[in-house]
Amino acid sequence: MVRLLWVRSGMRRWWPFVFALIPLAITVAIVTTLLRASDLENFGWSFWSLNVSDHGILVYVIGSLLTAVPALALAMLIGLGIAVASTTYLPRFVAGVLDPCVDLLAGIPSIVYGIWGYFVVASFFGQNLFVWAAVHLAFIPGLRPTHDSSLALIATGDGLALAIMILTLMILPITTLLMRDALRAVPRDLWESGLALGATRWEVTRRVAIPYAKRGVWGAAFLGFGRAIGETVAVFMVIDQASKLPTNVYDGTSTMASLIIGTIDAAMQGGPTGALELHFLSELALVLLSITLVVNVAGRWMIRRTYTGVAGV
Amino acid sequence: MNAIASVPTEAVVSVQDLTVTAGARTLLDHVSLDFGARSLTAVVGPSGCGKTTFVRSLNRMTELTAGLAVEGSVRYLGQDIYDAAVDPVVVRRRMGMVFQRPTVFPMSIFENAAFGLRLVHAEEDLVDAAVTEALQRAGLWDEVRAELDRPALSLSGGQQQRLCIARALAVRPRVLLLDEPTSALDPAATQRVEATLQGLKEEIVLVLVTHNVGQAARISDRIAFLHSGKLIEVGPTADILERPRVKLTEQFITGRYA
Repeated sequence: MVRLLWVRSGMRRWWPFVFALIPLAITVAIVTTLLRASDLENFGWSFWSLNVSDHGILVYVIGSLLTAVPALALAMLIGLGIAVASTTYLPRFVAGVLDPCVDLLAGIPSIVYGIWGYFVVASFFGQNLFVWAAVHLAFIPGLRPTHDSSLALIATGDGLALAIMILTLMILPITTLLMRDALRAVPRDLWESGLALGATRWEVTRRVAIPYAKRGVWGAAFLGFGRAIGETVAVFMVIDQASKLPTNVYDGTSTMASLIIGTIDAAMQGGPTGALELHFLSELALVLLSITLVVNVAGRWMIRRTYTGVAGV
Repeated sequence: MNAIASVPTEAVVSVQDLTVTAGARTLLDHVSLDFGARSLTAVVGPSGCGKTTFVRSLNRMTELTAGLAVEGSVRYLGQDIYDAAVDPVVVRRRMGMVFQRPTVFPMSIFENAAFGLRLVHAEEDLVDAAVTEALQRAGLWDEVRAELDRPALSLSGGQQQRLCIARALAVRPRVLLLDEPTSALDPAATQRVEATLQGLKEEIVLVLVTHNVGQAARISDRIAFLHSGKLIEVGPTADILERPRVKLTEQFITGRYA
């Protein structure tokens, strides 16, 4: 009986640490696996180059940033628009329909976006928007088609621009949702104080509500970026996978994530080529992990810095 | 009732037959009350008597609550503020408002005080001068003059509330509406705010909603007692406290109101 009590009290003390071990162990396992598989001792950062034929990974790093950053910018802008409309301007019954839609979209698996993008969005944007842009906006450097990208090819839609669009659509619900909830948490008193000073709703939104909701806005940006840069299948389906930097927005390219899924099969075939391929992909995964980690840490730091001295109110 | 007896000669704000309803509920029932220049009127009454609704209807804040219907008139210097041609934004610039809890904005002390001026794109030297003056009038200047760039949210609750008063004063309103401005403050902070209000009543019209009879006794010139949406009695503070004409008023101020 005494022994049993001892065991029970011991368990009571230790179980939180057992649970704490789970995420810690996973983190350590992933990092060590990737470090070993990439064989950094032998290859070092020799992969850190633009030379694709010699397994340089920089093209894919740039490809990832070229898709994720514009997609994030678009998703933040549109998301803020939806969030402000829903919390401030729309009649309650319209917001009541809109909000669950956003929540629903945030939960859709990415493969669904990928299929939709592949079959529907690609040709829709390709035939309408991209061809139009290639003809009428050709004076903008990135929008000018090169001689080998004919309008017929552009009309199929696949390429960098479509990948950006699909990514934007995919992360839009989560950025919208986070910013909407942050704006909704702005105290009513604060709103009314702004209005009582003779401010319009827009002035209160811009100068009081959005600054107050800053933490949520930053959170939306970092989470959105993490999703955008890590997205695999949907991007692979629409980016017109090619191991090169794009010459314009209609061109194909690769992101780190889309390249991994595109070549993992070949790498697993074994043999000396396969082994090299595995080291290369592992290093790519390691870089992806590092970028996500850096963004995460920077995000936390940013949020903390923004809010020091404000907490507790 | 008996409002006529204490109508100041020149009314800045004149309320006539103000009735506010929310569906079938009547929140204010034919309230008539005038506010003269340089005065502090305390609006007192038990919870739910309509005192907050009353003060919010003076600058059309009632419009922000869905389902409220306002009848009667509120005249500011003779102009009916509920007239269709009147922009509520303009009304609110003339009548400042301070809320129950401090509502400083997430920006510096200076920018908080300057908020109303920024809205009208006032010139920079003008803003500087007005902010300084407003902080002085709100009795906060000496405490914050050295750290105007600090986030306003780092101030104490009492300082925040005086900053809210300064923010409202910076646009030079003729009327300041205060909805239980000290209900979230400790006694020392309450005292500072009361001192500030006492100074301000020499300059502008103050309408102070309070549930605290002691506060009304300390700083008001005049007390208006509301009960169930009706104005029961209004008169000089000393008269209401010492010689209330209505039984209900007496019960309330002596704390025997059930």
